[in-house]
Amino acid sequence: MPKRRQEADSSRRNFLKGAGLVGAAAAVAPPVAAGAMPAAPLSKAKAALPGPRQIAAETMPPASDPVNQTSSGGDYMVDVIKTLDIEYMAINCASSYRGLHEAVVNHGGNTKPEIITCVHEDIAVHISQGYAKMEGKPIAMACHGVVGLQHATMAMYNAWCDRVPVIVFGGNIMEADKRAPGAEWLHAGVDIGQLVREFTKWDDQPASLQHFGESMVRAYKIATTPPMGPVFLALDGELQENPIRDRGSLRIPKYEPVIPPVGDSAAIVEAAKMLVAAKNPLIVCDRVARTPAGMKNLVEFAEALQCPVIDNYGRMNFPSRHPLNQSFRRALIGQADVILAIEMNDLWGTLTHFRDRIDRTSHPATKPGAKIITLGMRDLYLKSNYQDFGRWQDVDLDIAGDGEASLPELTEAVRRLTDPAQKAAFDERGKKLATAHQAMVERSKVDATIGWDASPITTARMCAEVYNQIKDEDWSVVGTAIRLSWMHRLWDIKKPYQWNGGSGGAGVGYNLPASIGAALANKKHGRFTVAFGGDGDFMFNPGALWTAAHHEIPILYIVHNNRAYHQEYMYLTAMAARHGRGVDRMDIGTTLKDPNIDYATVARGMGAHGEGPITDPNDLAPALKRAIAVVKAGGPAVIDVVTDPR
Amino acid sequence: MHKLNNVAVTMVAAVVLGLGACLGACLAGSQSARAQDAPQGDAANGKRIFLKEACFTCHGRVGQGGAYNGPAPILAHTALPFDAFKGQVRNPINDMPAYSSAVLSDKDIADIYVFVHGLPGPSSPKNFPILNN
Repeated sequence: MPKRRQEADSSRRNFLKGAGLVGAAAAVAPPVAAGAMPAAPLSKAKAALPGPRQIAAETMPPASDPVNQTSSGGDYMVDVIKTLDIEYMAINCASSYRGLHEAVVNHGGNTKPEIITCVHEDIAVHISQGYAKMEGKPIAMACHGVVGLQHATMAMYNAWCDRVPVIVFGGNIMEADKRAPGAEWLHAGVDIGQLVREFTKWDDQPASLQHFGESMVRAYKIATTPPMGPVFLALDGELQENPIRDRGSLRIPKYEPVIPPVGDSAAIVEAAKMLVAAKNPLIVCDRVARTPAGMKNLVEFAEALQCPVIDNYGRMNFPSRHPLNQSFRRALIGQADVILAIEMNDLWGTLTHFRDRIDRTSHPATKPGAKIITLGMRDLYLKSNYQDFGRWQDVDLDIAGDGEASLPELTEAVRRLTDPAQKAAFDERGKKLATAHQAMVERSKVDATIGWDASPITTARMCAEVYNQIKDEDWSVVGTAIRLSWMHRLWDIKKPYQWNGGSGGAGVGYNLPASIGAALANKKHGRFTVAFGGDGDFMFNPGALWTAAHHEIPILYIVHNNRAYHQEYMYLTAMAARHGRGVDRMDIGTTLKDPNIDYATVARGMGAHGEGPITDPNDLAPALKRAIAVVKAGGPAVIDVVTDPR
Repeated sequence: MHKLNNVAVTMVAAVVLGLGACLGACLAGSQSARAQDAPQGDAANGKRIFLKEACFTCHGRVGQGGAYNGPAPILAHTALPFDAFKGQVRNPINDMPAYSSAVLSDKDIADIYVFVHGLPGPSSPKNFPILNN
């Protein structure tokens, strides 16, 4: 791509170009096509006589046309980014932000941020999403402002739905007269942020360096303030590349994080009264824990009430083997008289039985008269186009406040309002719940035995084998496939970093790159990262493995290979059955076979360790041992496990 | 693109135990009731149909259960009476597709029933040390 000039074009240069063209036109006789406008008489086709400017241009030394500069706007941008402690910038390189890219590498020393090279923008955003959920702070992502951003959009939508801060930079060239012919026009826009505005919290296109400084800090602050979400900054090429004209006038704004709001005190007390008085209270939650304190706060609160918890697993909210974890006993929803919903994503969906039949119907899963309390920040920032907010749910007390931050006050209110008789009743309730929890665990183990030696391998056996090999490591499981819940049924998941939720927007292609992003965060803590993912998801972004290999990001990735987009396979079967037609051809368009994809070979082609395809469950343990050795040595490893569908 | 892979949906569907147990309680009969109405069937043909007609996609090839929009109960060594089993196939509760006689004949269902009933059911986890971590 041609390099644009660093300084504003001089009229002299344009003049010379024009004169040159005129001269050339005069020297070559134009072809005369049928129907073309008749040529002017030859005598009138001559170039005009040189005027004073052309004469000057041909006789005077050239005007200043510098070829070096000692500073660039990109340097200032990096200086601002550094103050925000942004550790990485995941990128797919693009000329429209070459000024920033070069400044990160040379002015910034490729540290804070360090470049993470990605082979697709969707991978770069998903790596950012996975990283932010694990580390509790965002990294940056950079791409072409038009075509790169178009690639990045689905991943940004996932981050939006998942309420995860991701900072996206898109290069642009705002001034039309500065764009080189060709790609720079194709990759420029008047308002490139409009593409992602419906699923970002905020965006801007700074017109000056000081403007960038303030917008960068503002973007960071907005992204990390609950409800969190992605933000976008369009970065003008001239601003990135040109010399800083007055360095002394630029300042770097001070960042100070927002203290997440605690719910109204009176409302907290009212909620506590309802919960203490309840005979069968219930907590349902989704994205409560945004820091390690979140799980601790929820455990203390649940224990104060001896209240069952149903976790939708959007974050690491509650230990899997805590006696009050009743996540696989959804029937409790129908027994509860007071339900506290904390940072829920889809409250209506959780509290409703919905039937996907010819006539779609629904009825509440809650019992009549049950009181519903909500606590959270999600509904404080919604947009209208995309319908990720879900269906309206009637509630009885709606508390605007950050769930994690509000729980200590709620716990204290519960303790204060509980009399000894109630405390005794709570303890009795807790014992019954502990018994039920243990029965649930035992039932899971019993169910897992079915088809233990079957091939294709059952998902229960796969998960049990993996856990057996990693349980003594400081592990962190950061990804799962659709409907794959055996980890939460069988594993002792109890540390804040041992789970980080799913995609958010159900956009396929999340799992592999987001797991690598989480592994990038885990790397400096020395944690052993493991993830499961479907084969369909894998094939959206297999190039993410190259990033893991290139940057030596250790991760054990298990491909749950059922050789299908299996959820779709089932949907299609349901359609055929509904229509009373053959259901034996529903593999058409839904399966990944003929030929089977060899994921281990794909992994090796990306520079990762590859094992498989494994079809005999007795081959799993040796393969896991070999792969774990690779991961502990610092690299990525993939095991292709040919599994039964679910 | 409508492919469900968000964790909330994943885990909601993973409540196989809760709703699956409910389904079982609604439909399950005693072993004696099952024995009385058990049909004569061809297990080999039942297996062929079970795998061909996509039963396995939700319930697993060895009847270990799974999930569709909600739980797909365990069918291995099922204790359901045949009539309840057939009723669920023809006019299912929840989101299971209804299989009409145009798709599955009564004999097909009987063959499937014999096949799944003959599948090994669960065992004691004590025999599987890695399940006791």
